[in-house]
Formats: sequence, structure tokens, C-alpha cells
Amino acid sequence: MKSNLRYEINYDVLDLSGEIDLHHSPELRKKILGSLKNKKSLLINMQEVSYIDSSGIASLVEGFQTAKENKLSYGLLRISEPAMQVLTLTRLDKVFSLYDSIDQFQSQLQA
Amino acid sequence: MAAAEKLLEFQFPAQSDHLCILREKLREVLGTCSSSEELRNCIVLAVGEACMNIIEHAYCNNDQGDIILEVEKQGNNMIFRLTDFAHRKSCEEEMVGRPLEEVRPGGLGCHIINEIMDEVRLIDCKTKHGNVLQMKKKLDI
Repeated sequence: MKSNLRYEINYDVLDLSGEIDLHHSPELRKKILGSLKNKKSLLINMQEVSYIDSSGIASLVEGFQTAKENKLSYGLLRISEPAMQVLTLTRLDKVFSLYDSIDQFQSQLQA
Repeated sequence: MAAAEKLLEFQFPAQSDHLCILREKLREVLGTCSSSEELRNCIVLAVGEACMNIIEHAYCNNDQGDIILEVEKQGNNMIFRLTDFAHRKSCEEEMVGRPLEEVRPGGLGCHIINEIMDEVRLIDCKTKHGNVLQMKKKLDI
């Protein structure tokens, strides 16, 4: 897994790529919770995620819950097909806010 | 019934950094069988989830012990057998997923395995320690 956190004025974007499994999920959890700790909304770009298992999904869910508790926006951007397969299997595609573009997320922030 | 053809036997340490090697081996084998990319991805996910369960729950994340993955093809069915040598014996109840209505981290692995595979069962191991999990999946050919 590779990750890169970009800082915008009202939110952060976490770009993820590669495979996310039990070996990488602690790092992913740390990145997500670290960003939310700064009370900024978070958009996670999953376009380049080639594999994610339930441990990676657990990190995303923990972020979702933390954002909700802190009334922050939290979304997943351009989900790759393998990642969408897992979200659909676990029915989390109906729980997370999914975005096709950063503009869509920004509009939601301003609403 | 068609005879089972062994396609792979791969033994690896029950450590999270070996999961990527397991997936690579599995993708190689599945690539030789006629099936859709979507199905191959699902199978790799399910077997990976089962290995993760062994690492976390059978070996309790102690980085000790090995896992053996055996892959067989019997007619249109693929058989995946995972053997561990942990002191802890697993039981069938542990293979049942939690309700998905509860949105919380963790506990999704068994649900994923059961959704993807046609048959999942623990085979009683004759040895004192260890578990054998067998999963079957019919290929979409």
C-alpha cells in the first residue's frame, strides 16, 4: 500500500494505492484517525486500490464512525472495481458517502 | 465424480507480510482455470480472509507456526484447503458472520468467506492441534 495525504483548506485528501491487507491496515487506520484528529473532513481516494480485505475495510469504518462522532464529512472517492466488490459484499456501499469527483465532495461540504 | 487434480500446495509462515505472496500464488493458479476476473478476485479475497482468521484467531497474532494452502480442481469445482498447526481448535460457530446492520469495524471476514464460497467447513483434524478448513467454489464456465 502507498498513501499520500494532501492538505486542503477545509479538508484532507488521502490518496491510496496498491493492496491493503492485514499488514497495511494498522498504518491506514493511523493515517485516517490522524487526519480526523485535526478536526478536518476527509476524502479517501480509492481509485488505485487493487485489493482491500476486511481489515482495510475495518479501518475505513473506524474513520467513518470517528468522523460522525465529530460531525465531520467523510467520503470515499472514485472507488476501484476490486474495492467496490468488497464494499458491495459487506453492504457498506450503502453506508459510506461515495463520490465521483472532488467537486462533488466540496459541494457537499458547502451545503 | 471426476478425480481431484492438485494444482497447488504452498506452505508459508502465518504472518501478515506473507499474505501478498499467498495472493500471488493463488492468482497464478486461478489464471490457469477458466473463470471470470471478478470470480478470481472474489476467490483470492475469500482465501485471504480465511488466512487472516488463522493468523489472528488460531495463532493469536503470535507470528508462530505455518499455514498450508492446498488447491484442487475437481470437475468444475475448485477446492481450497487451509491447514494450521495452532494449539487452539476452531469451531463451526466461529465461521458464522455477524449481522451487517451493525456498522462497526471488524467481524466481516466470515461473512465475506460465506458469501463467496459455495461450501465452507472445518474438517475434523486427527491431530491434537491444528485445524483444517475446506472451502469449495464452482467455476463460472
